[in-house]
Formats: sequence, structure tokens, C-alpha cells
Amino acid sequence: MNTFRTFSFITTAMTYLLIFVGGLVRVAGAGMGCPDWPKCFDRWIPPTSLDQLPDHIDPAKFNIVLAWIEYSNRLLGALVGLAIMITTYLAFKYYRNVIRITWSVLAAFFLTLVEGWLGSVLVDTVLNPITITLHLLLALVIVMLLLYSAQEAFYLENHDSEKGSRYPPNMKWMFGILSITLLAEVVLGTEIRGGLEMIREDNPMLDSQFLLRMLGPFKYIHTMLGFIISGLSGLLWLRLVKQSQNPSTIMIQSSTAILGLVITQIIMGELLVFLDVIPLIQLFHMWVASWILGLVMIQYTAWNQSQLAHE
Amino acid sequence: MNKNSLLILMSVILLGAGATWVIQKANSSHDLPVIKDVPSFLFKTQDGESFSENELKGKITVLDFMFTTCAGPCPIMTNNMAHLYQDYTNVEEVQFVSITVDPAVDNEEILKQYANANGVDDDRWQFLTSDIDAIKDLKKNGFMLYADELPRGHAIKFVLIDPKGRIRKYYDGTDKASIAVLRNDLNNLVKEIRS
Repeated sequence: MNTFRTFSFITTAMTYLLIFVGGLVRVAGAGMGCPDWPKCFDRWIPPTSLDQLPDHIDPAKFNIVLAWIEYSNRLLGALVGLAIMITTYLAFKYYRNVIRITWSVLAAFFLTLVEGWLGSVLVDTVLNPITITLHLLLALVIVMLLLYSAQEAFYLENHDSEKGSRYPPNMKWMFGILSITLLAEVVLGTEIRGGLEMIREDNPMLDSQFLLRMLGPFKYIHTMLGFIISGLSGLLWLRLVKQSQNPSTIMIQSSTAILGLVITQIIMGELLVFLDVIPLIQLFHMWVASWILGLVMIQYTAWNQSQLAHE
Repeated sequence: MNKNSLLILMSVILLGAGATWVIQKANSSHDLPVIKDVPSFLFKTQDGESFSENELKGKITVLDFMFTTCAGPCPIMTNNMAHLYQDYTNVEEVQFVSITVDPAVDNEEILKQYANANGVDDDRWQFLTSDIDAIKDLKKNGFMLYADELPRGHAIKFVLIDPKGRIRKYYDGTDKASIAVLRNDLNNLVKEIRS
């Protein structure tokens, strides 16, 4: 592995960790843990006691646990930003002429800056629901871009990886539809989450089951899309693994993993509805969605490589 | 199971355990300190009824100091209080109290009009008045809030009082983020009573 690929691998892993920590901030209710941005209570290192608080900030907002949860998200975010910066530099160093690599890494880097800015908007608007959704959506796009560039770099050095494989042609639209449906599903999911919170604010002390029922159509569309996604990923698995000649290991593994994870998602989703809105399950429900999207990206890139190899 | 999937499984379990710990920490971080008891007082409501510290017992109270002709922060505070009053309609454990710091102007009649104008249609939100010295004393010594230049020098705090009549926390009544914290604390207190 060259330095670029090593680094983009590390960066991708860190970004996935960051998405997890971001979700943790959300389920722990720590989004406003630091009421200002980029500093936390006017300090670069969050305060550890009340008397370190500056006068102009209401001490009611100070909760040391929430402050550190939120701040660790910011610190990790800054670290990921740095890692993506290095990855971008390396992309230009090794693959100056490979536009699909340089551009996707550059886009990832640019979007990371936007993410930081969105973080500040979130604090300013006291967690505006649409901004929360956008904050997650961009993170997913970033991780997909990173995966794509790493895999393309891999194929540049391993030309023959998909040479032996033959997948059905004209499948681009299926990947497109699956990705869009997945992203729509994530948006719906965060809207359900945000909607729950808004209804809960207007109707404190109602239990989650009742709140979920008040959400009505959102929840049904989310469930319906879930089944459509499992159908689509099942179809992809059938075509790319069963109806292909010599599918590559990466194709078999990503297709199978997608199918397995989609089923896991349906189970977790139903648990959330029928048991209770359990924060840990919510967190993994969101995180696994980001895994599925990444795997679809891998699956598509492998398919695309095979098509190019046989042109 | 190969080495890679084992590694992934281990990481997921580790992350799950870590997240559980953090979520628990976050949940238990909302504990409210007991600051002090509200001292005894006897004021009049907008309906001319007596209201003393005993009326704070058995309910969770959000209390502020304001005056009806104030053009500065009071409209924002009252607006925030009115939102809380609306949202907690079905939570009978919660009540709201606004004490005027300008009793020379804010008599019962004026307070009643003010209450009506802010959509008050039941006894969950009481507006209190008394003589200025008693108000000043309660505010300064009872609630430890600034009260030197009334009415204009009044504090913008919302005070959270538990069912035992104890002050639990102060919030900036003009700040959205502080009110969000207040809502959360309110809900936790209600859960405590109901459990």
C-alpha cells in the first residue's frame, strides 16, 4: 500500500468513528453541551468547574459531561479535517493526473470545511432539525468520496483485480436508485428523530410509543422504504454474486454485507418501534446506515472497474 | 470466522460498551443541586387570592420577576414563560408564577389583564403582587437575585422550585438554549415525582 492508500484508509476509519461520536452527541442530548463555537464556554479546553465560566454565559447551560461529549466530537472533527487535508495533499502528490481521485478527495476536504461551519450554525440555531440532517448527510457523502478515491487508487495499482469477473452490464441505475433511496431513508430517519423531539417539546411527558404514533406517515414511509431497500439490495446480490461469472471477493463480501446489514437495520428499526426508543439502538441504527452507504459505494466502484476492464 | 470480521465485531462491541457508558453518564449528569428553601411570604394573585410559600408545595414551579409595562427583556421572558405554560398544559404537576416588581402600577386588575393577554385561562400561571418592600425582600434575600433598582433593575432569571419548595436552579429567561435546559430539568423532576 502506498502512503496515499494507507492514509485514506486511516481517514475513512476516523470519519466512521466521527459519525459514531456525532450520533452519540445526538442521543446523549449533548448537542448544546458547548453553547458557543468553536470555543466551549469561551475556552479552548472546556471548563471543569463552574467558577471557570465567563460572566456573560448563563451557568445553567453548564454541564461538564455534556460539554466534554460535544467537545470530543469537535476535537475528533478537527483531527479528521487534518487527516483529510493530508490525504488531499497525498492525492495530488501521487495521482496528479487522475482527476477522479484528486477531485473526489478535494470535494471531501471542501465538504469537511462546510461540516465545521454547519456545526457552528447548529449551535447558533440551538440545534435546528434541518441543519442536523444536513450535518449527517454531508458526513455520509464525505465518507463515500473517501472510500471511492481509495478504491480507485487501489485499482490503479492492481489492474487485474476485476479482470476475471463478469457482471451484468447496465446496472448503473440500480446503484443510483439504491443510493438515493438510502440517503432519502437517512433523511426520513433523522426527521423522525427530530420530529419526535419537537413533538416531545410541545407535549412533554408523553411516552415514546404515543409520540411515534403521532408521527404517522413519516414512520410508515420509513418502514416502506426499508423494505424497498432490502428488495433492491437482495436483487443486487442476486445479480452481482449469483448471476455473475467469477465475482471478486470484494464484490461477494460487500454485496453479502449490505444484505446482512439491511436486515439488521429492519430488526433494529422494529425494535425501536415496538420496544422503546432506546438510545443505543438509535445510535447503531444511524451508524449502520452509514456503513451500508459506504458498502454500496464499494460495490459500485468494483462493478464499474469490471465494466471498464472489459471495454 | 476470519480475523477481520473478528476485529470488526470486537470494535463494535467496544464502541457499544463505550457509548452505553457515555449515555449513562449523560443521563445522570442532569442531577439538580438543592440550593435553598424559599422563605415564607404572603402575596396576592391577580384574582385577589392569597398565595404563600405553601402554594409552592406539591408542585414544580417555574418563577420569575417582571413588570407589565417593562419594554426591555420582560416581553421575551413572558413570551418564553407563555410557551412553557402552553406546552405543559397536560402536565398538572407544573405551575408558573410571575411576581411583579412594580406593585405601584401592577395592581390585581392590571395583572389580570396581563394574564389574559398572555393566554392564561386556568390557575397554572399565577401573577403575584404585594408591597414593594416585601417583594424586594423576597427577591433579594429569598431568591438571592439583584433587586436594588426596582422595577427596572430586575433580574431576568427563571427559577426552578421543586415540590418541597426548594430552589433547584436558575436559568436565563431570555435565552433559548437556557430554556431548553430548563425544559429538560422540568421533565426530569416530573419523572422523579411520577416514579
